[in-house]
Amino acid sequence: MKKRLTLTFPKRTINMPITYRLAKDFNVAANIFRAHVAPDQVGKLLVELSGDIDQLDAAIEWMRANHIEVSLVNREIAIDQDSCVHCGLCTGVCPTESLQLDPQTHKLTFTRSRCIVCEQCLPSCPVQAISTNL
Amino acid sequence: MRTVAEINDKIRRGTVTVWTITEAKALIAQMGVAQAAKTVDVITTGTFEPMEGSGAMINLGHTDPPIKIVECHLDGVLAYSGFGAVDLYIGAGQMATPGRESEAEEKGGGHVIADLVADKSVTLSAIGQMTDCYPRASLDTTITRDRINQFYLFNPRNLYQNFIVGVNGGDRPLSTYLGPLQPRLGNAVYANSGALSPLLNDPELNTIGIGTRILLGGGEGYITWEGTQHFPLQRRLPNRTPVGPAATLAVIGDAKRMNASWVRGCYFKGYGPSLMLGIGIPIPILNEEVLMRCSVSDQDLVAPVIDFSIPRRVRPTFGLVSYAQLKSGRLTLEGKTVRTAPLSSLYFAQQVALDLKQRIDDAEFELTAPVQSLPTDTRFMPQDSWGQ
Repeated sequence: MKKRLTLTFPKRTINMPITYRLAKDFNVAANIFRAHVAPDQVGKLLVELSGDIDQLDAAIEWMRANHIEVSLVNREIAIDQDSCVHCGLCTGVCPTESLQLDPQTHKLTFTRSRCIVCEQCLPSCPVQAISTNL
Repeated sequence: MRTVAEINDKIRRGTVTVWTITEAKALIAQMGVAQAAKTVDVITTGTFEPMEGSGAMINLGHTDPPIKIVECHLDGVLAYSGFGAVDLYIGAGQMATPGRESEAEEKGGGHVIADLVADKSVTLSAIGQMTDCYPRASLDTTITRDRINQFYLFNPRNLYQNFIVGVNGGDRPLSTYLGPLQPRLGNAVYANSGALSPLLNDPELNTIGIGTRILLGGGEGYITWEGTQHFPLQRRLPNRTPVGPAATLAVIGDAKRMNASWVRGCYFKGYGPSLMLGIGIPIPILNEEVLMRCSVSDQDLVAPVIDFSIPRRVRPTFGLVSYAQLKSGRLTLEGKTVRTAPLSSLYFAQQVALDLKQRIDDAEFELTAPVQSLPTDTRFMPQDSWGQ
């Protein structure tokens, strides 16, 4: 199964090769959507982990034991249907094509499961119809 | 074949046949030009896109004591007041003045116009030039569309007949009036609805001219003049459609009777505000030639791909691309696949055409023949510095 997580690393865990340990010890594949590590700040990683359900749970438990904050609540893109004018400008900057225009109706469609929350669509929207929920 | 008067007669008698442009393309392909021209009286077209060349004329009505406004802000956006006592003009592309009382930074004239159309209240802050006629020094109040004497859109440039496709061949992201253009040909943006576009279905403006009644922002409006930058001499294909930006229209319409769905403020990050506007234009099928022009398809319409990384008057081009290619979502430039996205809402364009068809069917909208054709031979003059 797959789980989307936001991992927050305190300073002392930044040297840990986290995705390597997940793969080697738990046979869990980590697909990194976003990563942010800045000097003197906590690191943040938005990942999708895939693997056996028991091993996923074990991996999450292991990360928590190592002071890595694991959050299942993820940022999501929300589209305000009252504001959206279906211009389609966002579809050109969406790297995963989760935002598309329906070829028949030309209405904007959003495939949530494909979205990696890169947020490039936010500044592209001329009517500010796209927001994140956090 | 038929005249505008005959069509209006049919509208009043309820026997008129109206197709939207989308229906028309399919039906013409099915029954052929000759048969279709006999059948249909009017084809409705629509568009919904950012139209920066828009603005609203406002007459406030006189205060007591009266004021002659020399400076005026509406929700922090400067309105021009150099006409008379309480006449104002607010342009869609006018940015909110920094430090003024507007809630959002990314706001401009387009939002103020849209808010008034949506019957929201707008703050007005004006300074008067004190004269013997107009002694008042200032005015601070709140206005709504029903509490101002007159409020109409008076747009100097709308409805571009064709446009360009923007790309960015440079190495940094660009904020443009076509939205974000990503570096190294990261995306391409086109801003015209191609085969749905009103002026591409009557490429030589044989049925559209000064005095043509249109649907403007969901209310009734009129074509008043050529638009600014009107360039009918643009190079054309054998089907008479232009290969780049060509004709434009100036339009007018009572904003008090417009619908907020079709009048929306918008903002392009790093560029500025604008107004998204829905405009519907009826094409009376006077003869087979007029109908034949309405059968044009996306394969037969092209636009130039322009590189915005070089900010000069004449920018480098990657050549012409068809609207069929643009609407497929991808095009190839220098061997690279580039994603394309529209800026003109194809969905809303069809809704506007449908709305206009409904009104004609319900005998709420009659056609007008132009009182004067738009010029076909005006040159596009650049502004070059002389004598320096």
